[in-house]
Amino acid sequence: MLIDFRFKALDPIRNNVNWVLRPLEYIMMAPRNVIEASSDYFTTRGTLDQENRAMKARQAELSLLATQSEYLQVENQNLRQLMDLQKQVSFKTLPVEILFNPPNPISQRVVINRGTDDGLKLGNPIANDDGILGQVVRIYDHSAEVSLLEDRDFAVPVQVARNGLRAAVFGAGRGNPLELRYLPVASDLEVGDVLLTSGIDGVYPPGFAVAIITRIERNADKNSSNVFCEPVAPVNRYRQALAFLYDPKWEAKASTSSNKTGAPVNNAPGRRQTRARGMQ
Amino acid sequence: MIDFQSGYILRPVNPVFIYFSLFCALMLNLLPIGNYGWVPDWLILCIVFWNIHQHRYVGVVWAFLFGLLMDVHNSDLLGLHAFSYSLVAYIAISWHRRITALAVFTQAFHLLPIFLLVSLFPVLVHWMLSGEFYWWALTGAIQASIEAMLWPLATRILLAPQRRPTDVDHNRPI
Repeated sequence: MLIDFRFKALDPIRNNVNWVLRPLEYIMMAPRNVIEASSDYFTTRGTLDQENRAMKARQAELSLLATQSEYLQVENQNLRQLMDLQKQVSFKTLPVEILFNPPNPISQRVVINRGTDDGLKLGNPIANDDGILGQVVRIYDHSAEVSLLEDRDFAVPVQVARNGLRAAVFGAGRGNPLELRYLPVASDLEVGDVLLTSGIDGVYPPGFAVAIITRIERNADKNSSNVFCEPVAPVNRYRQALAFLYDPKWEAKASTSSNKTGAPVNNAPGRRQTRARGMQ
Repeated sequence: MIDFQSGYILRPVNPVFIYFSLFCALMLNLLPIGNYGWVPDWLILCIVFWNIHQHRYVGVVWAFLFGLLMDVHNSDLLGLHAFSYSLVAYIAISWHRRITALAVFTQAFHLLPIFLLVSLFPVLVHWMLSGEFYWWALTGAIQASIEAMLWPLATRILLAPQRRPTDVDHNRPI
């Protein structure tokens, strides 16, 4: 136990045990999947129709936004280049399915069905369409374990969307609200503020919603404030999610080195900048 | 072996049934129920049962191997369940003579500390390693008491094949 805790040296053993265990887990997931599939099958035509209409409206809205955001992104990259700022890094996404929630009283994790063989790396963030869900903390060949936002002491660097104030959101265990720690009393926070990832850690891509502030307790004696927030994404609800294959070192270095040598800066907005981010 | 509840001598155990029941318990543990503190750990119930009734077939080694599997499944530290299962298996084997002589419900009370040890062991280990105590995880005590309450049921199911009568007269059922 101590070896595993301190050195993480036993992961190969874990991987091999997983080869035995995973087929059994898949078998035991079958009854649940059958029940869910049958309840899906028997949804009425009315609900489907309604859903379809809502989806169409949403799609029209999003495609409009997407064309615009592509334009804005190219413009943003060009402006950043003009001002000698680092380029925003583009990233790919990988659809993942959440397999199950291992029964563990101490941590809040889920197991997903992608691993190193699918290009996933340790530390990749996982999100769904609403916001960040968590981060890959242990990886196998064909599956990975994801720590959820609610996991105790799980930290995400964030920025308040309204005024750009930087902070860090910490998980506080299952069912407890997330906490925004280490902030002075006088910090400009309000209930309802949206917290976005700030991207300064190089793990999470910037600009994704993480949480919304629900309660603030200002404590003038200790010059600290207890700020509680609620995750934006439904952390324990859906089965599908996206993994961001995000590595800020891909392109940021190239731009700085070309600036140092004084070479003419080419105007390409990014290496694999084909579509707006999140659309790939 | 004597069944102390009825006073009859039990039929010899079938090793295939032992390993089949352990496998079933493992599969029940792998059910994707979710992360709830009260869901009973079927595997430890089964392991402790066979430790007490047939400790020559299921001993500390089996408990260790199953514990390793549960560590990987639960994404715990590797060795956490392996250690607690084998510790509990040792305790159960050393108590097995005393426990089998008791009535079933008294047995359940005597086994409650064993199940409590298994349920609360992860909390204690994390307390020792990280210095933080997870109060929320103490709901494991509920799990342990549910397991103890399931003990009479386990006895009934797992001893049923051995309680079959040896000579069945179909013409005179009684």
